[in-house]
Amino acid sequence: MTRRPTPLQATFSKPKVTISAALVLLAALVPFIYPSTYGTGVLVTMLIFTVLNLSWNFVLGIAGVWNFGQLAMFAVGGYGGGLLIIHASLPPWLALLAGGIGGTLLAVLLALPTLRLFGIYTSLLTFAAAQVVQLVIQNDSSGTTGGALGLPTVKGLFESLDPLWATRAWYWLVLAIVVVVCAAIALLARSPLGLALRTLRDSAAYGSARGIDPRGHRVLAFAISGFVAGVAGALYTVYNGSISPTVMGLTPMSIYVTMIVIGGLGSITGPIVGTALVTAIQQALIDHPGTQLTVLGVVLIAIVVFVPRGIAFEAGRVRDRVVRWMNEEEEVPAGPASPEGRLVAGREGT
Amino acid sequence: MSDILSILVSTVVLGSIYGLVALGMTLIYGILRVLDMSQGSMVMVGGFVGWAVMTSAGLSPWLAIVAAFAATFALGVLTQVVSVQPLIGRRGTDFEMITFITTFAVAMVLSNLALQFFGPRQKNVPELVGGSIHLYESVSLPYQSIVMTAIALALMLGFALFLNRSRYGIAIRAVAQDLDAARLMGVPIKRVFPLVMGFASAIAGVAGVFLATQYFASPTAGDQPLLIALIVVIFGGLGSLQGAIVAAYAIGLIQAAASVYVSTTWALPILYGVIVLVLIIRPQGIAGRSLEARL
Repeated sequence: MTRRPTPLQATFSKPKVTISAALVLLAALVPFIYPSTYGTGVLVTMLIFTVLNLSWNFVLGIAGVWNFGQLAMFAVGGYGGGLLIIHASLPPWLALLAGGIGGTLLAVLLALPTLRLFGIYTSLLTFAAAQVVQLVIQNDSSGTTGGALGLPTVKGLFESLDPLWATRAWYWLVLAIVVVVCAAIALLARSPLGLALRTLRDSAAYGSARGIDPRGHRVLAFAISGFVAGVAGALYTVYNGSISPTVMGLTPMSIYVTMIVIGGLGSITGPIVGTALVTAIQQALIDHPGTQLTVLGVVLIAIVVFVPRGIAFEAGRVRDRVVRWMNEEEEVPAGPASPEGRLVAGREGT
Repeated sequence: MSDILSILVSTVVLGSIYGLVALGMTLIYGILRVLDMSQGSMVMVGGFVGWAVMTSAGLSPWLAIVAAFAATFALGVLTQVVSVQPLIGRRGTDFEMITFITTFAVAMVLSNLALQFFGPRQKNVPELVGGSIHLYESVSLPYQSIVMTAIALALMLGFALFLNRSRYGIAIRAVAQDLDAARLMGVPIKRVFPLVMGFASAIAGVAGVFLATQYFASPTAGDQPLLIALIVVIFGGLGSLQGAIVAAYAIGLIQAAASVYVSTTWALPILYGVIVLVLIIRPQGIAGRSLEARL
């Protein structure tokens, strides 16, 4: 077992297909442990936000582009899908796809002006653009978006089922989407494209010296994450039967950023862990709604200061240590016992 | 004529208040490379301190300004120590992004604590001084606006003097220009950084008292000023003090003109549109210097 790792193997840990499949199966059984419509509904919402956070983490953590306007793509996907359901009586399945396309278009549009910018300026421009989208939706007086009151649409999916089974069906549908998105992002991150994106994130100068086009890749990263965010937005609209401008703004953004950072910015499973954890905190504090954001803020600071790479990363490290301990007799670990092979490997030197 | 006059009057008032908030943000960015998202909360806290001193305790408005200055100074120092200091020089993280997020978390905590303590209701804060000068037809200039503008200008001027003349000011500028060289010259970094954030927050706190007298004190009172201050600092070029002050009045003018000629609800979208354009055409802001060597 002393085969020398090829460079690519040294960069990536093997995908844990068996463990992942077992976890997905476990997750699919959760609605039976939690046999209430309300509880399952909370889980559905959580999974929809997981899709959003996966897409955001792709552009923010993996591509390293400071995009703080992701909620604009989410809202455009949601409103676009909703409007098409109302006016074009599109079937909900197609509305999801349409939402994704809307998100992609806006993402590309948003990526173009950021091409000359870097770092904090990118975040300000994307954030400002998201604010414009929110204010335009909110101030729209022509009646298209319904303004501040929101856009009521029709509930389209699983209507024939009774409420509990409909919510369960939603749960499995969104779970499947989470799995597909997560797998797609994991594959993308391991592909040459993902390698290029992370190279540009860690050292833009080195990347472009090696012939990676920073602008094209940035637009591509925006487009991919915009598509997923648009799908998440359309899911939100179709599930709730309505969408309002309050899905955007400072408070929602702070909650999603908390989810991503707690889980681990730039790690594949981070958004899933973080979204679940934050939802758990929110549910635990449901009787004290005023304290939710206070607690979340304190947790966020504590995580950043004490567990800077997020929970998913630390959990992975613990698991790696156990695996290494189990393999200790067979092979002598080469080099320092650092998790250098992991996807989340730090951004040294920036 | 009366349109133009009223635009000018609100430009001066709005510009002065925005200038105060943006001054703090740009200073913190210039020195610490932190885009401090908690500045909006300092505005909000300043408003509540003003309300507590003036309405609850019934004391003089001047005392309210001093109290707000002191309270937000302490809060700014605390924010720096808790959410920025531990991250300085840490390997493997992007300092600018991670402090953007932690100061954001501080803002979350502060505004929700305010919500818990003071409730969601807007609190009326009395004027600093009553009365007004009649200018033209329906346009009048309240004394309050004159006083606020004067204090804001005095604070900006005082800050410029402090930075250019005093020992600490020179130390702060040295840190902004070259951290390592400043350290080698014996500048106590661990004292300078909290001090900068304290002063910047204190200025935002004073702006908060002013804003509360114009509008209300409420837990969300800091959101809009934060967004506007972000626009101002981009427009002026992050880290540039002169740029921020010029930009504050320019943004005040755009907002006032948009409110009069278009409508108040579209003033903010227009501002954001302007800022997106500015970033596309001139990414480094109107001050136009490179990212290094500011201040």
